[in-house]
Amino acid sequence: MESTSLLNVRGCNKSFPGVKALSDFTFDLNAGEVHCVVGENGAGKSTFIKLLSGALRPDEGTITIADKEYAHLTPALAQELGIRTIYQEISLAPDLSVAENILMGKEPTTRLGFVDYASLNREAKRLLDNLKIALDVRTLVKNLDIPQKQSVQIAKAMAEKARIFILDEPTASYSSSEITHLLELVKSVAASGVGVIYISHHLEEVFAIHDRITILRDGFKVATHNKGEVSEETIINEMVGRDLSKFYAREKSNIDYSKAIEFRNMTGGRVKDVSFKVHRGEIVGFAGMVGSGRTDLMRVIFGATDKSDGQVIIEGKEVTINSPAQAIRAGFSLLTEDRQHSGLILEHSVKWNVSLVNMASGAGWFVNEQAERVNVDRYIKALDIRTPNLNQIVRNLSGGNQQKVVLAKWLYADSDVIIFDEPTRGIDIGAKEEIYKLMVELAKEGRYILVISSDMPELIAMCDRVIVMRKGRIAAELGQTDISEEAILTHSIGGTL
Amino acid sequence: MNPGMDIRTSATATKRVSIPWINENNISVVYLLGIVAVFILIMSFLDKNFLTVGNIFNVLNQQSTLGIITLGVAIALIAGCIDLTVGNVLASCAGIAALALKAGMADGWVILLTCVAGLVAGTVNGVIVIKSRINTFIATLGLMSIYQGIALIIPNGNNVYLQGRFGWFGTYKVGGIVPLPVIYFTVLAVVFYVITRYTKFGRKLFAIGSNPEAAFLAGTNLDLNRIITYSISGLLSAFTSLIVISRIGQSQPAMGVSYPLETIAAAVIGGVALSGGKGSVPGVFLGAILLGLIRNSLNILRVPTFYQYVMLGSVIIIAVTLSNLGLARKSGNPG
Repeated sequence: MESTSLLNVRGCNKSFPGVKALSDFTFDLNAGEVHCVVGENGAGKSTFIKLLSGALRPDEGTITIADKEYAHLTPALAQELGIRTIYQEISLAPDLSVAENILMGKEPTTRLGFVDYASLNREAKRLLDNLKIALDVRTLVKNLDIPQKQSVQIAKAMAEKARIFILDEPTASYSSSEITHLLELVKSVAASGVGVIYISHHLEEVFAIHDRITILRDGFKVATHNKGEVSEETIINEMVGRDLSKFYAREKSNIDYSKAIEFRNMTGGRVKDVSFKVHRGEIVGFAGMVGSGRTDLMRVIFGATDKSDGQVIIEGKEVTINSPAQAIRAGFSLLTEDRQHSGLILEHSVKWNVSLVNMASGAGWFVNEQAERVNVDRYIKALDIRTPNLNQIVRNLSGGNQQKVVLAKWLYADSDVIIFDEPTRGIDIGAKEEIYKLMVELAKEGRYILVISSDMPELIAMCDRVIVMRKGRIAAELGQTDISEEAILTHSIGGTL
Repeated sequence: MNPGMDIRTSATATKRVSIPWINENNISVVYLLGIVAVFILIMSFLDKNFLTVGNIFNVLNQQSTLGIITLGVAIALIAGCIDLTVGNVLASCAGIAALALKAGMADGWVILLTCVAGLVAGTVNGVIVIKSRINTFIATLGLMSIYQGIALIIPNGNNVYLQGRFGWFGTYKVGGIVPLPVIYFTVLAVVFYVITRYTKFGRKLFAIGSNPEAAFLAGTNLDLNRIITYSISGLLSAFTSLIVISRIGQSQPAMGVSYPLETIAAAVIGGVALSGGKGSVPGVFLGAILLGLIRNSLNILRVPTFYQYVMLGSVIIIAVTLSNLGLARKSGNPG
């Protein structure tokens, strides 16, 4: 294999307030190779891609492409230099045909200036044939399924003579035969001299396709290995390995094992046949890679995503939950991951936001303003929400304070079962610790706590038990003594211990 | 992953306005009140007939019909729904009322019948619009045409004359000064103020309009509450039809055609966001009044009718543009 260098990243640093996303990062890509990048959620993979696509600029460092050195890229420049990121959410025109998409902007024309569809289709078909993609070039893109759309994007990038392909978790929600097809396609693309950066949580894919593997952890490059020089175990060890001493020390609560909520055969969204139990006073963590179905599971439990099967049995009594309203009445709270999109009414006041669940689900017609004021005030003080007054518009608060408004809203609803989805994402250390304390407090009061988190130290420190999810199912259930980063990660990516 | 994306410096909490009862929630109403005041001031200098008790009640009376319907349209807009059917629902209900009166039904029963008809029409609209999941603008545009047909079918395309009946409902002046429609409008405005400001239903409407996903996850029944806004809008259209037929002594199948545009204009001028989740009844009240004042002034200044349309349209476009600019400024500042 020839080894013309296509891309050379040297000494890149990128920081966000409070987090160093990439530290002194070095990476290179040769023509004709598939270079895989692996790492936990938050290891810096997405930041790396965004530097290459021009969406972010490195604070320091250089990016060399085709022997030219750049301090940073812009989206237009990245495009011009032949860098293509292949997304699952398509960047294709749905109402145009496969051929029109592939050759967009390069359509052959007749002498009168009209599109010459005969040669357009012929040209596109030739391209697809070369890549062994079996598709009718006249099909409208909107009628394709996701794997087919991805193939079209790859063909389009080939037509544009792109040199560097980036595939970020390309196989989420793929069946195994679709994965095999994609891997074949990627291999044949690479064989034609393109460099491919392939990012995946799934080690078996990575092993099937890689020429080299780079492991990222906490923004650092841990190692780069050539094909055949590394075992699965080494990779997992390199992905984890943090200093455990700095973890938050949690006060354990008394779990009442006589009382439990049982979830049986929960199925819906990405979730397939998930059953588990939570006990009173217990904090159960949910680990897994992005897309493993954790958020979907919580939405199914909460009645926000339709379920095709599943029973919820609270302390021996089955309850029907088909909508959030029913879930709330049954004593559930769901603190969603994306607070701006699904947690807050940004244009309204702190007061309105905190009392939202009570307004929506409580009895009676009229708002008791007196009681509302007293209660909202109480939660603002209890959670130390920094706001000039109750009528402050939530948009004007900081991220940590916005998160606390969401917390206050659900605490005000006084639920028995509280589900946290990534409760500490994007907030500073101080606010994090306050949220940890609160979770412990809630468990001690004898509530049921479910926590989704991609922050491993957080899961290890906070949870009595960790359920690891993979591809919509439970991959493993780890009791107190079995919880470790290695165990969680191994089950998350489908490795073997 | 993009850590820090959501982190903001915690000191961004702004507090520009220092008068205690003015805040970001009601600042637009305060502006509007100022505009109305300045407008009245200028007009009273230009024409001494403008600022008289007679003319002020005249404007209020004229605007009461538009104002009442706008209350319903605004409620729907706050929940993120557009209702274009109001004018033709009004015409359909007018036909029903006029035929019932002509047939000799007692006034009280006619009022009840018409209001029930409007409520049913509104509810049916709501169910169709919401359950079909079509964009509400397009769905009600279709329904608008259906009611245009119904308004013609009910009276068989004819004007129906009331032959002197029912005149009191829309023209009686309490104490010889205050026209009944002004009282209806004021009372309804107060009722809707209470609904939007002090009921859980009101809170839910704002939540649904601002962030349906968050409202849904907080346990709100999105569809039911949205449908109710259409029911309310239908009811208010029916009630208004009674005022209109009483005033002109007849029903006409083509009446009310300007209402879809004018109600939305009045609501937006009054600070209701077309994107939902924002607005207030005092704003809507003032919006309807301001439109009336402009029209009245143009009359007093003897601007020919043709040009009045042009000017009204311009005012509407300017108001919506300003409203959008405000919106763009807000969303253009992600912090």
